[in-house]
Amino acid sequence: MNRIAVALWNPIVAKEYRSRMRTWRSPLAMTIYILLLGGLGWAIFSSTASAARNSFNGGLAANYGQALFLWLVLFQMVLLAFITPALTAGAVSSERERQTIDLLFVTKLPAFSILWGKLLASMSFVMLLLLLSVPIFSLVFLFGGIELDQVLKAFLVTAVAALTLGIIGLACSTAFKRTLPATVSAYGAAFVLLAGSLLFGLLFPTEINPNATKAPAPPAVTFLSPILPLVVIGTNGPINGYGIRYGNTFAIAQGGGMSCSSGPNGVQSCSGLVAPGKGIGFYNPVQPSGTTIPSGLFSGWQYWQATITMQLVISLVALIVSAVLLPPIRRLPWRRRARVVA
Amino acid sequence: MITVDGLTKTYGNRTALDHVSFEVPKGEIFGFVGPNGAGKTTTLRILAALLEPTSGRALVDGADVIEHPDKVHERLGYMPDFFGVYDQLTASEYLDFYAACYRQPKARRKKVADDLLELVGLSDRRDQAVDTLSRGLKQRLCLARALVHDPAVLLLDEPASGLDPRARVEMREILKELQTMGKTIVISSHILPELTELCTMIGIIDQGRMRATGPVQDVIRQLTSGRRLRISVLGQKEEAAAVLKALPTIQEVAMVNGAIEAQYDGDDAAAAGILQALTAAGIKVSAFSQLEGGLEDAFMKATSEDV
Repeated sequence: MNRIAVALWNPIVAKEYRSRMRTWRSPLAMTIYILLLGGLGWAIFSSTASAARNSFNGGLAANYGQALFLWLVLFQMVLLAFITPALTAGAVSSERERQTIDLLFVTKLPAFSILWGKLLASMSFVMLLLLLSVPIFSLVFLFGGIELDQVLKAFLVTAVAALTLGIIGLACSTAFKRTLPATVSAYGAAFVLLAGSLLFGLLFPTEINPNATKAPAPPAVTFLSPILPLVVIGTNGPINGYGIRYGNTFAIAQGGGMSCSSGPNGVQSCSGLVAPGKGIGFYNPVQPSGTTIPSGLFSGWQYWQATITMQLVISLVALIVSAVLLPPIRRLPWRRRARVVA
Repeated sequence: MITVDGLTKTYGNRTALDHVSFEVPKGEIFGFVGPNGAGKTTTLRILAALLEPTSGRALVDGADVIEHPDKVHERLGYMPDFFGVYDQLTASEYLDFYAACYRQPKARRKKVADDLLELVGLSDRRDQAVDTLSRGLKQRLCLARALVHDPAVLLLDEPASGLDPRARVEMREILKELQTMGKTIVISSHILPELTELCTMIGIIDQGRMRATGPVQDVIRQLTSGRRLRISVLGQKEEAAAVLKALPTIQEVAMVNGAIEAQYDGDDAAAAGILQALTAAGIKVSAFSQLEGGLEDAFMKATSEDV
């Protein structure tokens, strides 16, 4: 094996695969995962199939396909947000609890290899779950309305979000000695990533320039959540009325005070009734942009691009922090130098 | 092979190790003795590059444990006092895993695992799940694990703790075999008679301080004032005691369980002189032996000073 293969594939991965796949837990987890995802798909499919048949000529079948796809990707993301921290939050702390970690530290495996092995083994299982869900997603193509590139982008966003949650779980596992606090903090981080960032957009929205005709982007923090890009990919339309508000000029500001409805193929129509200052008047609302981010730090980017970029940065930082925290003796370069000088 | 120089480890206000120094030459078995909490495990963990000392140096085969932990790990096998095993792995897979962690080539790993299982007497358990092995067998497997990369130095922290007498004897036999293979072994234990028989050198540690270190007999001689004889005679106990008390080498004479115990100062020639004096005085000596267990006395003396 060449050096890269040796670095990527280490004994921890093989050992974890053996340990993981020899128990009944893994097949059970896969079965439950498929049953939950398939159950939701079947429920939506059966409830919309007849409606789609009755109004096929209206182009609504494509809308049903879109709705089914959106529900499935969002539900899959939520499922993985529950599963992934459980896979990695105990990866290092359970070695400590079982008193096996010292036996690893005295081998020639560097700390980063231990982390990488744990991560690769956990994320392989997540990838297996994603692969298992592919046949369920094929249901969507019975209705149409979804292109292959949307499916690929949605899977990419989901996979990167799962990777981020996995690495955060690994960092928690490294930082905490016990699995319980590591798991609690990993789920806390998952909640912040998925929902907390969205809540930020509601609490601290971007203010709309009164002269603007196009809606601005929500705050950049909100792109951390994979929910936003998944909605954009699933609907193939813009984010509408979320994370923005009118400034102090208007009394009613939240969400732009707009009522919007989305038509087929992402066509939006909005109208707004707001109360400017002391009187009541009509306001010509800003129009939402397309599927690119209209303003801010990631102006011109696709939502999914911004999300995976931010998440990969977080993952990298969490991985570096873990690699620094894990070794029993932390040999930071300046400390080593100081010791040699002393 | 191992050099420990002024090793100190403090946790806040508590000093776990206080300027501990000792040396273990190549091929020796060094017994590390001390009461619970004396600092044995702390010293061994520092030697295994698992714990950073507050000050002082520790070298394993010339490699500094802080500067070159990778070299230290290459050269030593470590068996902690408490350890766990992985679920769902067989004994041979367990050894194969650690051999892979030591970057042993795949082609060699199977032979290494088979040889080590043979060495520790677990060949017939190679396909048994490690978590179902008894404590004694796990200890032996862990010892085999410490040997997968053929290290020159072995650090064994309480390898016989929790083992039944048979398992202890078996463990001792394995260690003797390792000694013949030229390994340098540091072994911490509470079981002093075993160390007396097994170790060539000894270090007595108490409350973080090294009380005595060196070859076993030197340490015993250094800490105890003399050697003891047990003498059985046919009748004539009073006469025998009188003859013994008159000898200049005898320090103390006592009756213990119907036999005479005499503490004397000197070597084997002095002991022969005592026997000669008894027979010359017409005492019928039926048994005459050196009393073992000097290490226990030495240990009690070394560890009772500050109590």
